Parts: sequence; structure tokens; C-alpha cells
Amino acid sequence: VEDLLGTTGSILQSTIRNATPLIFAALGGLFSERSGVVNIGLEGLMLIAAFAGVVGSFFTGSALVGLLTGLGAGLLFALIHALMCITFEADQIISGTAINLLALGGTAFLMVTIFGSGGTSPRVTGFGSVAIPLLSDIPVIGAALFDQSVIVYLMYIMVPVVYFAVFRTTFGLRLRATGEVPEAVDTAGVNVQRIRYYGVALSGLLAACGGVYLSMGLLTAFTENMTGGRGFIALAALIFGRWNPIGAAGAALLFGFAQAITYRVSEQTVPIEFIQMFPYVLTIIALAFFGGRAIAPAAIGKPYRKE
Amino acid sequence: VSQNATGERGSAFGRIVAGALGPLVFPVIAIVLSFIIGAVIILLTGNNPIIAYASLVEGAFGDPLALGRTLLYTTPLIFTGLAVAVAFRAGLFNIGGEGQIFVGAVTAAWLGVSLGSLGPIAIPLVLVGSLAAGFLWGAIPGVLKAYFGAHEVITPSVLNYVGIYLADYLANNPLRQKGPIPGTETIDFAVRIPVIGAALGRANYGFVLAILAAAARPPQEQVVLALAIGGSLAGLGGGVEILGVYGNMDVPWVSNLGFNGIGVALLGRNHPVGVVLGALLFGALFSGAQEMQFATNVPLELTEVLLAVILLLVTATKLVELIVGKRARALAGARLEEGLGS
Repeated sequence: VEDLLGTTGSILQSTIRNATPLIFAALGGLFSERSGVVNIGLEGLMLIAAFAGVVGSFFTGSALVGLLTGLGAGLLFALIHALMCITFEADQIISGTAINLLALGGTAFLMVTIFGSGGTSPRVTGFGSVAIPLLSDIPVIGAALFDQSVIVYLMYIMVPVVYFAVFRTTFGLRLRATGEVPEAVDTAGVNVQRIRYYGVALSGLLAACGGVYLSMGLLTAFTENMTGGRGFIALAALIFGRWNPIGAAGAALLFGFAQAITYRVSEQTVPIEFIQMFPYVLTIIALAFFGGRAIAPAAIGKPYRKE
Repeated sequence: VSQNATGERGSAFGRIVAGALGPLVFPVIAIVLSFIIGAVIILLTGNNPIIAYASLVEGAFGDPLALGRTLLYTTPLIFTGLAVAVAFRAGLFNIGGEGQIFVGAVTAAWLGVSLGSLGPIAIPLVLVGSLAAGFLWGAIPGVLKAYFGAHEVITPSVLNYVGIYLADYLANNPLRQKGPIPGTETIDFAVRIPVIGAALGRANYGFVLAILAAAARPPQEQVVLALAIGGSLAGLGGGVEILGVYGNMDVPWVSNLGFNGIGVALLGRNHPVGVVLGALLFGALFSGAQEMQFATNVPLELTEVLLAVILLLVTATKLVELIVGKRARALAGARLEEGLGS
């Protein structure tokens, strides 16, 4: 029995760790898409932040500075996406795809420029696990939930904060209205484009938290293309969660669980490629069975032009 | 009044530019701006952009060897560019090219070896196999979108990873060569092809398929067919890469060709001739990058940055209006993104 409880605890811990970057990215995508801007570029926002975080930490030895440089890079790339989609009325999916490629190529370029070679960066100071007294002593779930990196604790806080911001504040009301009926928002005297800029900028900051967690929480180094499709899985989580932070976090936990159990499967029984494939296949199955029923914000993908 | 006059002058200049370049206005602006941004990046690395770009051109077109290498890089991009363009013409976005080229390539690596005893007769069989694999792989997100309502962009984006892992599995297990080096067995030289000829012939094929894809039929079948045809082109591209360039499939097999096909298609405005020209530009950048790195120590990864910036700018309607004026933009044709599914 003790063995079973131990296994449960460690799977739970791994689930939370794998879900954390997905939850951050999904919360980010929520702000952008609720404002009416598709953000296929979450993957790239995470990747550039993962890299910038490692660079910041590498040169200062401070994980906190790394978090700040990561946030800065995520914000910068998000603002590029915003400029293209909102001001220049570029196609939002193309722009997001370009952001992904820019992050992929840009990090490869900067790896060589800064560290002298591609592949994996030197190890840096990251955000190690910090056990919360008392709470982490709870049997089974204690260590899983409360012996984690501070970025995970930040995630615990952000889910209700985002819920409150989106559904209980004036800003949230305007954000949602901008994604549904921008004309009405405009008539009410609120600047549609500005709200959308805020939405996309917030998506950059939140996705950046997820990226920094990948390179400075789960690992303590940057590896090329280390996001490995998590940005897209986060978008899938956003769809299942119906653009609601609690729902998206729940879906992300499910995908995190799928990832966690793959670490339990022995390579002797299943070829490693199929183990690695599993979370992606699960995402596609989920998209096929539940994706069609979700209704996206009505004005998503369309640039707003004042008449 | 003066403001008005400036506006008129601005658009008069723009009309001349747009009149001369027509539908090339969007691509040309994207390319020029990308190279300007690239020059700034080169300056930041402490190098001279003129020397860097000159060595890039030298490395892409400077001698017959360079030219051959450029065409080698161009060929798969024609396929993946057409794979995207065909779907665009049906109003759909094919972001699954990466997975499609991997399944096409691994199919060729398998058939090329197992049908090797047939000699050159095996070549068309292998390529049809790659084409079919790409067709089926492209049809998956098509079916999931048309009949299950699954997201047109997210599904194939995730499916790319499945395709890559599947190809890795096949190359690592049933198709693995003997010895310590990962990768599939090498295909006999009798089954290999000169890659360039095959590619140029396909540009026409892609055009025929584009027309086929635009024919009237129930919208759901239309979606599946357009994405499957797109997939078949990317799959074929994978097959041509294996038979023409590699001779076997290494693990990991590096591609990114599927994603770069998106930029190629948009630069080429989804027209077969445009796609060939777009692929040639991208191919030249990849081909010349080594020479640039050698001459100036600017990392060759700069190419990927330039391509991403081109993609970022190539649909920026208002940016083009800002540069050439509103009426001139109208001359440059309808907004590029119109008709794209989302």
C-alpha cells in the first residue's frame, strides 16, 4: 500500500511539473484569444523566453534576473505579433507561425553567437524546489503539490488571478467584449486596438513564465526546440477548457498526466518513439472528439477596422 | 491642403511602384525589409553586412558547384511550397508539411531498399509510395476538420510531431541498417534520381492539382481532398529528397522544409511559377549561408531568421499601404490573407 501511495504521489508531482508550462501558455493564449487575436505563436513565445531566461541567469548568476529577461523576451515577441496582427493587419495564423520560426531560428542563431555552439547551453542557476513547511508534510499529495519550484507556486496563484481578471473586472469585461463584438466596444468609446495589445502582451508574459519554467525549473539549461509542441498542446487545452482559465488548467493537467505516465512505461515493452508520441496522439484524439463543440470568441482572427 | 498634397504624392509614387511590380509588391517589400533587418543584425555581430551579403550571393551563385547546391536546396522547397499553395487555393492552411515530408521520406527509404532489386523501374514505384503516404497523412487533419470539427491549424501542428516520431521509429527499428550508426539502409544507386529534373516537372503537376482541388464538390470532401493533395506533394518532396540527395534516412533527419514551404507559398502568391521563384530565393539563402559564415563568421542560422522575418511581413497589409499608399496596394491585388481559412 505504501508503495502504491508513493507511486501515486510521484505521478502527481510529475503531472504538475509537466502541466505547469502548458497552464501558463494556455492562460496566455486565453488573454490573446479572448481579445480576438489568434496566438499560434505561443510555442515561439515560450521558446524565446526559455532561452532569454537562461542567458540572463548565465551572465548574472541570478535566477530572478533570468526570469525578468525571459519575461522581457516573451513580451517583445508578443508585441511583434501584436504589431503585425493588430496594427498592420497581417494574417494572424501566418504571423503566429512566423513568430514560432523566428524563435526557432533566432535561438539557434543566438546560441552560436552567445555560447559558441548550438545544441544545449551551459547549465545555469534555476528555480529549484522549495518545500513549503507543514503543507509539504501532508501524506501523498503534500510533496507533490508543495515541494515544487516557486514558478509552480506562481502558477497556483495565476489560475484564480486570471479567472478573476477575466470574469470579475472591468478590464476583463472589455477584453471579452473585444473578442466577441468589437463594434460595440468601439461604440462605447473603448479603444479596441489598445485592448488587443494588452491581451497579446499578457499572453507574452504568461507564456514566458512557462518557457522560463522549462529551461530553469524542469531543467537548468536551454536546449534547441525544447518546447517540443507544448505551445500547440496548450492551445488545445484552451479549446477544451472553452477559453476559461479553470477549464484550460484542468485540460492542461490531463495532458500533463499523459506526459507523466509516459515516464512510467518501460522502453522494454513499448518502443521509445511511441512513448514519446503518446501525449501528441492524445491531444489529437481530444481535439477530434471535443474540439468541434467548443465555440471560439466570435471576432477571433479578424482585424478590427474603424468605420 | 499640404497634407493632402503629400498624400497624393505618396500614392502617386506608390502607384508607379505597384504598377511596375503588380502582385510582387507584398513579396518584394517583405524581402527588402527582411534584408534590412538582417543587415542590422549583422552589424550587431560586428560584421559588415555588405561583405556578408556579397559572400551569401557568391556562395549561392558564384560557381557551378554553388549553383548546383542552390538547386539542391531549392527542390524540396518547391514541393513543400506547392503543398501549402494548393491548400491555400482551396482556402485552407496546410501547416502539416513537416510531418508529411517525414512520412514521405521514410516511405521512400523503405521502398527504395525493398524494391531495390528492380533497378530504375523501382523509381516511380517508390515516388508513388511517398506520394500516397503524404496523401494519407495530409488527409488525417482534413478528415478530423471536415467531419469532427477539429481545429485546422492546431491538429496538424501536433500531428507533425507524431509523423516525425513515427518516421524515427521506422528508421530506428524495422528499417535500421546494420552497425552502430542510426539510420536506414542505403538505397542502391540504380534507384536514385537526378533531383532537379524531377522537381521542375512537378511544378506543373502542382498546378494541375490546384485546379483539381478547386473543382466543385461537397465542401467536406473538398477540405479533405485539398489537404490530402497538399500532403501528397510534401510526401513526394520527402521521397525525392531520399532518392535524390540522401540515399537513406538518417536519425535524426533534419528538415524544417515543411514550415519553410509556408513562406515559399506566400512569397509565390500561391502560383506555381511564384512558388518556384520563392523556393529559389529560400534555397539560395540556405546555399549561400555557409560561405557567409566562412567569410564573416556570421552564424549561418541567420538565414532562418531572415526567412522568419519574410513570413512575418509578407501578409502585413497595412504596412504595405504605409509604404506604397492605399490605392497602390489595391493595384497589388486583393489582401493576401483573403480566402485563408481560420
